[in-house]
Amino acid sequence: MPPPPRQDLSAYEGAWTEQEAGHLLRRTLFGASPDQIIESVSLGLEETLNRLLTDLPMPDPPVNFGNENDTYTPIGTTWVDKPYGPQETNNEEVRFRRQSLISWTMQLALEPNGNIREKMWLFWHNHFVVSDINDPKYNYNYAQLLRKHATGNFRELTKEITIDPAMLRFLNGNDNTVEAPNENYARELLELFTIGKGPQVGPGDYTNYTEDDVVAIAKVLTGWQDLGFFAQRDLPVESVFRPNRHDKSTKQLSQRFDSVTIANGGSDEYKTLIDLIFSKKETARFLCRNLYQFFVYYQIDDFVEETIISPLADILIENNFEVKPVLRRLLGSSHFYDTELYGAMIKNPMDFVGSTVRNFSTTSPEGLAPTYIFHLLLSRAVDGMDMRLFNAPDVAGWKAYYQEPSFYQIWINSTTLRNRQDWINIVTGRKGGNNLEPIIIDPFPLLERCSEPSDIYTLLNEWISWLLPQPITDGQFETLKNTLIPGLPDYEWKLEYGEYLSNPTDAEIKEALRRKLLDLLYTLLSMPEYYLA
Amino acid sequence: MKRRTFLRNTSLASLPIALPGLNQTYRKLLRYLTDHTDKILVLIQCSGGYDGLNMVLPLDQYDGLSKARANLIIPENKGLKLTDEVALHPALAPLAELFKEGQLQIIQGVGYPEQNRSHFRSTDIWTSGSASDQYLNTGWLGRYLDDLYPGYPEGYPNPEDPDPFAITMQGTISETCQGIGGNFSMSVNDPFSLAPLTISTAGEAPDTYYGDELAFLRDAILKTNQYSDVIEAAAEKGKNLVEYPDNNNLANQLRNVALLIAGGLQTRIYVVSMGGFDTHANQIAEGDSTQGAHASLLEELSSAVAAFQADLNALGKQEKVLGMTFTEFGRRIRSNYSLGTDHGSAAPLFIFGSCVEAGILGHNPEIPDEVDPLEGVAMQHDFRNIYGSIFEHWFEVPKEKVNLLLYPEYQSLPLLKNCNAATSSNPVYSTFPTARIVPNPVRQSGQLVWDHPGGAIKVQLMNVLGSVISTVYQGNPAPGPQSINLETHRMSPGTYYLYLVSPQGQRTLRLVKL
Repeated sequence: MPPPPRQDLSAYEGAWTEQEAGHLLRRTLFGASPDQIIESVSLGLEETLNRLLTDLPMPDPPVNFGNENDTYTPIGTTWVDKPYGPQETNNEEVRFRRQSLISWTMQLALEPNGNIREKMWLFWHNHFVVSDINDPKYNYNYAQLLRKHATGNFRELTKEITIDPAMLRFLNGNDNTVEAPNENYARELLELFTIGKGPQVGPGDYTNYTEDDVVAIAKVLTGWQDLGFFAQRDLPVESVFRPNRHDKSTKQLSQRFDSVTIANGGSDEYKTLIDLIFSKKETARFLCRNLYQFFVYYQIDDFVEETIISPLADILIENNFEVKPVLRRLLGSSHFYDTELYGAMIKNPMDFVGSTVRNFSTTSPEGLAPTYIFHLLLSRAVDGMDMRLFNAPDVAGWKAYYQEPSFYQIWINSTTLRNRQDWINIVTGRKGGNNLEPIIIDPFPLLERCSEPSDIYTLLNEWISWLLPQPITDGQFETLKNTLIPGLPDYEWKLEYGEYLSNPTDAEIKEALRRKLLDLLYTLLSMPEYYLA
Repeated sequence: MKRRTFLRNTSLASLPIALPGLNQTYRKLLRYLTDHTDKILVLIQCSGGYDGLNMVLPLDQYDGLSKARANLIIPENKGLKLTDEVALHPALAPLAELFKEGQLQIIQGVGYPEQNRSHFRSTDIWTSGSASDQYLNTGWLGRYLDDLYPGYPEGYPNPEDPDPFAITMQGTISETCQGIGGNFSMSVNDPFSLAPLTISTAGEAPDTYYGDELAFLRDAILKTNQYSDVIEAAAEKGKNLVEYPDNNNLANQLRNVALLIAGGLQTRIYVVSMGGFDTHANQIAEGDSTQGAHASLLEELSSAVAAFQADLNALGKQEKVLGMTFTEFGRRIRSNYSLGTDHGSAAPLFIFGSCVEAGILGHNPEIPDEVDPLEGVAMQHDFRNIYGSIFEHWFEVPKEKVNLLLYPEYQSLPLLKNCNAATSSNPVYSTFPTARIVPNPVRQSGQLVWDHPGGAIKVQLMNVLGSVISTVYQGNPAPGPQSINLETHRMSPGTYYLYLVSPQGQRTLRLVKL
């Protein structure tokens, strides 16, 4: 085993080169372009962090991009506040709206704004999981809630998500009544969303809470219902509190919560509960561990727990559960820039697919439908690598972020490996298909971004520094060079490239060069190094 | 040096094992020496925690059960009767058929002490084969394979072991097969479509966190390519001989398993899975408890298993394959008011194949008129004893080794009949049929009485959540009628269990303290 990184949370003051900037952007965006990396180097760490953490306005909602039969939504307008039509058109409406939502999510993720919001959106989606709720309006509502608080207040988000319509449905909060308590949400609220489960130290006692707490907390949360599921009338998606379904008794918590009681508080009672859970430091620690595993590394040993997690939890508490100061401290720390960690994370499917787009500033074709279809194809590729947005495998989220001992490696198996390779074949033009043309990389901008493109060493070194997290071996370098100029002396590249420069309008020369560069990219992107961030 | 390591080092592959005409004794000897068994295990992971009480219906407990789950109980006359005490949910008709044909064993009350009711933790416990308070980084099958193939993945595949050791159908590889150096299972979606991946040439990965992941990826790519060829070849060669049900994802997975077995793949372990068993709400259709979400799941499960077993029989592979279901926990005895059931404790487990000791192992759970809201089905059989019995009697692992792979108190269960002379004889098994608590309910004190078959016995007291409170008795009494005093005056009123466990068998008795 390699020695683990031993840097702490002190501000990073070391070198700020393309490697460090690339590391930060790879971890906080879904792939970065060379322009973004170079810009970050000139901005410096502080300014890059400012940009990453700037609050963005909420995006315009997704729209109907091509369903002529949506009863209430003309093409080009949004469906998020429109009812569903009658039975005959309903299925198609749901299908189109779902595609619209997922495509729109990809569009936002790949906006080149250098902002962490969408990465944090994915973090929360993996934290406060809602899965398999098939009404796209519910999913939109839920997604916007996460987005609104993406770098905001953890406690506030927890309060709102507790009565979110999609969440009420997903974890049976809408079935939770005084006569028939349903403890599904109560259990996950504790175990996965806030304080986390400690070791079982006694009968029904999980250190941070007990089985009896689950029962009592379920009672606190009784009375809520969602409204508007697949509504065919003009009803908003919302939650309502029904006093007659609420358990008005006083709820007794265990010694794990200092044996406090929660008296009937009607529709505000859940807030009292969440404030109580947030009065425990373990809740702050739990979130900080999750952030660490999402942004830094999966392994949390005693050193990380004491030197990183615990102080971060203090920062979270001092800032009244605002997440931004925690992110700023972590992403600006010397711990985060320990070279040991560069490339130590296997890209999740959104990162992987996103990189193949953002690294090359590939843009979708013009027009509403082409834009939506382009991003829908990206999301399908992400699906094939075992990450289905709004359909996490279960309430704990994607296994790569919690399953010991493999963690990130769980993204990789013989099926997903093939699908990753298949995607590289597509983006480098080796495998065609419907609508896939716009996804193929245009290698010329990357070439022209080089400080000296006619020099093969400069070209390769710069591409490697933008695309890969760590330098490669001499043998690998030779392989890449050989892809470009197989068995030829180095100056042949200068000649080939010069030929193109002197005949910029000659389509045949340009095409020959394009194919050569795509061969190089195919080899480079097929390297396992490219799977790492 | 171990004998088999020695053989490995002298390149067993060069010996003429496969030549016809090799004498029988010599072959047997070789087989013994190399630890090789050609037995296959197929695991069906039922994620979510299935509701055993609506699958295996305890006919002798129907009074209590009707009170505890009035809103979703299966009407007694709709159950498919297997014995006087036990019937199956009507959607399990194909399993009832297997039972009648002697190809199904139902093991009652499978779980573990200190039941954990979190999906994730309990799944970890089941897949790693750990105790409730023990955290293991390897899977129960991974440890077994590590023992057989030390050093994996280094050096595999090779001419001697060209096939993947385990295959997970669809998606994520199974935690059950996690070994020390890597996961032994390959994931296969479609065995006919396994295009090769690009292999990158590079030296050693550096000894850093980055290098760890890089080495993992390189190896995964390499192995995927190497194993793809043999999987594809087996898929081409194999043939299914029966029709499988349509629109049934589990059936699709099992069909591919049968195909690969038919094609001669030497893979020993297959893991297939289905989800959806976390039925907190609406597990039945309103107005008809035999229909609805849970019934559909059971239909999918049972029709897929039956088709698979029929295929194996037709292929003549039935004595090579053993199947087993598992789930992370059973559900509560009391239903909730959402027409669903919440996380509980133990559940029945199904073992199928032509080599199983068909029948029902263990007793129905005792369900009184008043059931504690948190009460699940009490454990009768520690799941590790089922794993261990598969190791010992199916994979022919020596008992001492099973103790190491699982836990020192491992007890052998009669899961298999003497199939094809490969398994050792079944253990003596007693469910302590005459054991009882008098009086029950108890007040100040009571007695446990039973007829002792001989040997050691331990009696543990557990609470309603399955946590061990104390060991009441441990000893080696003479065969014949026995009794011990139960000091109950300090116990708070409520439901408890006495768990009798001996090398010969086990029994769980419900105890109510007033």
